[in-house]
Amino acid sequence: MPPPPPPPPPAEAVASMLSPGARPRDSKINRDLLSVLEAPSLLYFGLLGLAILGVVQAVATLAYQTYVGLGIAGYQLPIFWGVYIVTFVFWVGIAHAGTLISAILYLFRAQWRNAINRGAEAMTVFAVLTAALFPLIHIGRIWKFYFLIPYPNQRGLWVNFKSPLLWDVFAVNTYMTISIVFFYVGLIPDLAIARDRATGWRKLLYGALSLGWQGTSRQWKAHNRTVLHLSGLATPLVLSVHSVVSWDFAVSIVPGWHATIFAPYFVAGAIFSGFAMVLTVMIPVRRIFGLEAYITDYHFENMSRFILLTSLIVGYAYASEYFIAWYSGVEAERTAFFLRAFGPYAISTWIMIICNAVLPQLLWIKRLRTNVPFLFVLAFTINIGMWFERYVIIIGSLSREYIPDTWGLYVPSPAELSILVGSFCWFSMFFLIFLKIFPVVAIAEVKELAIHEKAHGGAH
Amino acid sequence: MPTLVGVFDQPGPVKRTAQKLQGRGFSKLEIYSPAPFLELDDALESKPSRVRMFTLIGGLTGVVTGYAMTIWMALDWPIMVAGKPFASIPPYTIIAFELTILFGGLLTLLGLLAVGKLPQLRFGTGYSPRFSGEEFGLTVEVGDRDVAEVEALLRAGEAKEVSLVDA
Repeated sequence: MPPPPPPPPPAEAVASMLSPGARPRDSKINRDLLSVLEAPSLLYFGLLGLAILGVVQAVATLAYQTYVGLGIAGYQLPIFWGVYIVTFVFWVGIAHAGTLISAILYLFRAQWRNAINRGAEAMTVFAVLTAALFPLIHIGRIWKFYFLIPYPNQRGLWVNFKSPLLWDVFAVNTYMTISIVFFYVGLIPDLAIARDRATGWRKLLYGALSLGWQGTSRQWKAHNRTVLHLSGLATPLVLSVHSVVSWDFAVSIVPGWHATIFAPYFVAGAIFSGFAMVLTVMIPVRRIFGLEAYITDYHFENMSRFILLTSLIVGYAYASEYFIAWYSGVEAERTAFFLRAFGPYAISTWIMIICNAVLPQLLWIKRLRTNVPFLFVLAFTINIGMWFERYVIIIGSLSREYIPDTWGLYVPSPAELSILVGSFCWFSMFFLIFLKIFPVVAIAEVKELAIHEKAHGGAH
Repeated sequence: MPTLVGVFDQPGPVKRTAQKLQGRGFSKLEIYSPAPFLELDDALESKPSRVRMFTLIGGLTGVVTGYAMTIWMALDWPIMVAGKPFASIPPYTIIAFELTILFGGLLTLLGLLAVGKLPQLRFGTGYSPRFSGEEFGLTVEVGDRDVAEVEALLRAGEAKEVSLVDA
């Protein structure tokens, strides 16, 4: 029990603080943003049920695959990296926008991030959790996954740290850990806000998770420092993670992979797809929970500017890949890139180019940048385009290596598609649960701006 | 101990009042703030936060661990890969880099818990859910000093409400 709040004046204020039901004096920001946590509607349960159903079917597929082996995936010589790796790269990429918003924009003091950073950080955590499953699904013998970790063993063997795949293990696990830490640190003050206003099991949950946070100046000082340092650490981390993922490819000599541009190309693509996913997720959230006063069109417009910028970088990378393939004079590279555009995977390539490099150019027009339904549709096409980008890079390159005799074709099998669909459901399931348990907008940070504005008469 | 609680609307007056009280010799002060305000960071103590030490130690531990682990493991069972030296620094730098961030980040979290004295099982005297609303609180343990003097100071510092809590 907290000690009784300051007694006498004015009596009604104290009474309203003690009775949890009626809170006439609670701040509007608290009421608005905590209202998201209120009892879910039927629609919510419907969506959650669908998501869980999707996860269940994928788990069943995975169980079957574990039993019969990777033969049920569509692997054909010489292509043994398929939809699982494509989807892994896709979800790692999605994660990047959250860290960009919470760490890099924090360091740049871009205050518009305050309303969207929580949602984006949650998206990051869930996207990495989704991505981290795929290497395990991909290896087939899931029970041997711990071979990836350097641990003392009877055989006296160690992992090969010269392999990019090992770098990936370290990069992705570090990213997962740090993004969870970042997410949690930011949540602590908001959990305390929720704790002070909740009853029943929620009070218990928020009380435990908020660690007795009271917002003393000492706590805030430590908190500000922590967020600053975590941002400083997460900024190079986020740039490194997708660079390392790109080196899984670029360090090999496969035509279409062996390019020095891969790291910046992948990082830009990751931020591009991540922002698209933030829009895909936050536009419905804002609409359903009526958060228009906090997540404004201005936020969406700023995100669409990022999308436009990164789309240009991605488009430049596409063009540069073709240019270098031609300019290098390497026959295998030239063939690989010619077949990308006009070979068996041409449709995927054109989907990728149109969705990622062409359609986003519409964002030059301000009227479209501020048109929320348009942004939603565009973000959706970008998600599709970015999945196909990885499909083209991975499958397209592997199918056309140096010797035409080794060429082959790969078509995703139903099992792989079932797990692909399951990954989206897995992500949505976490996000839906998050919406009802944790505040989707960083309440304390929104207040920081609101209180400042009050002091300056709403001047800015 | 009688404790006075002043309720404020803005961080600026809280800081000024707290420092005035400190100047008058009151040392048992606490500020409650609903949001992170950098100006309040130095209101009660101006020394830089010790969280930085945690991050530094974590980061250094990470970088040393990263290189030491990879080099030792490569030498423990030497296998020539692609004609590279057993202890090959460029690829191991990636592992060292990731571990720098990992250990640095985890120790920073520990720093938050240690410096912010979390978890806390008891609320401070005078804490109120209002301070996780939109109001600021400044609590002063009056001790054997004159309550009226403190109250006057709080009110002079734009406190909109002042109340007495006995704990």
